Amino acid sequence: MSWPAQVSFTRLEEITGGAHVVTDAAEIAAREVCGVRPAVIVRPADAVQIAEILRFAAVEKLAVIPTGGCTKLSIGLPPARYDIALDVSRMNRVLAYDPHDLTLGVEPGVRIEDLLRTLEEKKQFLPLAVPFLDRATIGGIVAANSSSPLRHAYGAVRDFCLGMEFVTGEGAQAKSGGRVVKNVTGYDLHKLLIGSLGTLAVITRVNFRTFPMPQAQGSFIASFPSAEAAFDFCRAISHSVLTPQVVEVANPGTAALLFSGEISARIEPRTWTVIVSAAGQPAVVDRHERELGHLAGATDAEEFFPLEEAEADSALAQIREFPRLMMERVPASAIFRISAVRGAMAALQGKLRVLASQRELDFVSLARSSGILYAAFLPQRDFSETPRSLRGIIAEVFQACGQSEIPASAMLEWCPAEMKTSSEAVWGPPRTDFKLMRGVKHSFDPQNVLAPGRFAGGR
Amino acid sequence: MRPQLIRELEALLGPKAVLSAPEDLMLYEYDGSVELGSPRCVVFPSSTKDVAGIVGLANRYETPIVGRGAGTGLSGGAIARSGGIVIAFSRMNRILEVDAANLRAVVQPGVVNLDLSRAVEHLGLYFAPDPSSQKSCTIGGNVSENSGGPHTLAYGVTANHVTGLELVLPDGEIVRIGGKSVETSGYDLCGLLVGSEGTLALVTEITVRLMRKPEAVKTLLAVYDTLDDTTESVVEITVRAITPAACEMLDGFTLRAVEDYVHAGFPKDCAAVLLIEVEGLTEAVESQAAEITEVCRQHRAREVRAARNDQERNLLWRGRKEAFGAMGRISPMYYVQDGVIPRTRLPETLRRIEEISRKYDLQIGNIFHAGDGNLHPLILFDERDREQFARVVAAGGEIMRHCVEVGGALTGEHGIGMEKNELMPLIFTPDDLALMERVRAAFNPAGRLNPGKVLPMGKACGEIRVPPMPASATIPT
Repeated sequence: MSWPAQVSFTRLEEITGGAHVVTDAAEIAAREVCGVRPAVIVRPADAVQIAEILRFAAVEKLAVIPTGGCTKLSIGLPPARYDIALDVSRMNRVLAYDPHDLTLGVEPGVRIEDLLRTLEEKKQFLPLAVPFLDRATIGGIVAANSSSPLRHAYGAVRDFCLGMEFVTGEGAQAKSGGRVVKNVTGYDLHKLLIGSLGTLAVITRVNFRTFPMPQAQGSFIASFPSAEAAFDFCRAISHSVLTPQVVEVANPGTAALLFSGEISARIEPRTWTVIVSAAGQPAVVDRHERELGHLAGATDAEEFFPLEEAEADSALAQIREFPRLMMERVPASAIFRISAVRGAMAALQGKLRVLASQRELDFVSLARSSGILYAAFLPQRDFSETPRSLRGIIAEVFQACGQSEIPASAMLEWCPAEMKTSSEAVWGPPRTDFKLMRGVKHSFDPQNVLAPGRFAGGR
Repeated sequence: MRPQLIRELEALLGPKAVLSAPEDLMLYEYDGSVELGSPRCVVFPSSTKDVAGIVGLANRYETPIVGRGAGTGLSGGAIARSGGIVIAFSRMNRILEVDAANLRAVVQPGVVNLDLSRAVEHLGLYFAPDPSSQKSCTIGGNVSENSGGPHTLAYGVTANHVTGLELVLPDGEIVRIGGKSVETSGYDLCGLLVGSEGTLALVTEITVRLMRKPEAVKTLLAVYDTLDDTTESVVEITVRAITPAACEMLDGFTLRAVEDYVHAGFPKDCAAVLLIEVEGLTEAVESQAAEITEVCRQHRAREVRAARNDQERNLLWRGRKEAFGAMGRISPMYYVQDGVIPRTRLPETLRRIEEISRKYDLQIGNIFHAGDGNLHPLILFDERDREQFARVVAAGGEIMRHCVEVGGALTGEHGIGMEKNELMPLIFTPDDLALMERVRAAFNPAGRLNPGKVLPMGKACGEIRVPPMPASATIPT
């Protein structure tokens, strides 16, 4: 907090009305970013107010971080400055939903769970099975590019987001893309906002294409004696004509964390577990069950069994919430989000496991067949204190990713704030494209009003 | 011309890699659009290093640079509007790597789109973006324009299939963004670069996704006696949330021209046909095909038939993909548009295009990606008739304005280029455009890379540019 004494909150109150300028200590604490707290929270009603707030901030040299459900504020570097938490939770309307056209436009403060319920009434959905489902808002999901197990079948936000409206760091209201499902009119600036952690602009509207809900769904568990066998199964699926929606590989530690009840009773504690979901017409699901069973048998599965509906829902929810479960249960952990090709997954995890054991840390991982690996390192015993070895392993993980036969891209999505001592600690070694990213940041936010210092290659 | 620049380019690339004689340059004055522009020279690099060297020279001589693939673009993207050096990528046409296990290929920008699919066919793989020009267009051009094609309805456009790029920046620096993995931490620069129409950087290497061929494919032809029944069928297919792999429409006028040329088996006495393809697991394909057939019949399709074998299927697709070429048999020139509309607005939009056709006394054919609302009205004209051409431009503008009015966009896959850049204010505010200009300047500060494209130059806001008269009756195909 660096609020200058001579600047009063009066201007903010004029913009949003006094009721929407908040200094309550608990509310302020909830918007802490890596140990840095804002002086004030302001809750704008619309893009016009956001633009005024940002222009005011630029003039007064104040720093602003957009917030919604406050579930992913810990991602990224500690901000260099942070004065105003710009809370978009009042902007929570569905602005346009045309189920016949399968398109949707929403404000950033819409909670994903509410939105999915609205879509469900029309037998549609967005493929965003993201962590913090009960609290996360669309703006935050987009700004953090939250990972979803459904990416394998439906792509990520960049693939089904049609366009956005936003307010730049200069307080200019702008947009890119549009509301139609195919569009190459102008630069796709909105793609830059996906995963930008609020460093470029405040998102005020997101347009999506929606998807029809499948008629039927089936989920299956296969367990394997080794990582190699589990990934052989995944490879066999990918080489087959099957079209599963979800394929996730949990290492033994993860399986113990995620699964309970009958699933954990049926899988051996030291095994690698693959959960697969298929969806579509009932005949399609039946065929997946048959052929996945054959493939599991051919790749030395110890178990292969279908899940009851309730069991499947609970297992998929656990998988969806994996990063959240980890950071909540073991705050003194380091959770990497690594993007790696399928063929590198088994070997990379082997390397990471060795690194963990050298430093007497536990290693738990969840690999998504879309090419995202969650790799978490945690203390073997005392969860309350951050072990020194956790700090030491960070550079080694980045190095292992860079030296993988096919390089993987990593970022440290969660770790105790005190470990975030440099850009390298969170975003990895400097890259040549950081220069371009700094250029992008400067174009959107020349005075560095938005989340200064939080981003890779940014300022 | 500065002969010194030519000499230096020849020294860098060898004399056979530089064209500067007027008769040689004529071949590079045009692309697939109705635009024209003369470069000062055309160069043929063989490597990324060559490209960086050319960029260095261009900077020293303060000369514009325009990248060019096969020149099949439809919005003037590859035309040297302000002269300068055209970098033709036809010698950088190697497939550098096929990584079948990870479903990736690494290619040079001059690789022809269909050549990549052919090269991986034996592995059961293909490259999904399939523009109609795929037999000749290059992947570098696809990246610049973010090209689509019929099957993008289900599989997305080029941007959805590119994971990494090697760039030569306008200052000559070589930078890699992305890679084989699905994402790279930081801003999604690949997402910005794909579709930036060669105005931000030159692309010298591309990492693309490959897709596995589906188990089953079924191609349906639905034949209609009225346009309204045809468009209403498309709306109903969308409303029922059936996602075919492709859903293409050809109106009667267009399909008669195609049929005389390709003999694809389109009935010549109908008002329109839909060409619909479903792909996937056999079980899914059968039930989707049955549902689509039911929708078409409910909307009075007089016939719905499935291609019985690959030969029939290929013939139907040849009819679709060579339709633009077929127009050359009946008209000296055509002007193709690329507006997009919300899919539910298709019936009224086609009626509006009919009205515009009557109002301006022009023949307009419609052959387009109906499933995603991406129109391609083909306005036929004779370039020797200047007065008629003025009507073509006016009619085109009116169609585009309609697309914008119903909530659509100016271009679905052909790009803005120099054809529609002055129309950008129909969609974007001055603030939107100022931000795009700043982002362009962050990459391309001197504006030397493909000048005069995408963003308006401010001379004739809200107008389609009236291009110069083509010198000869060139029929792009």
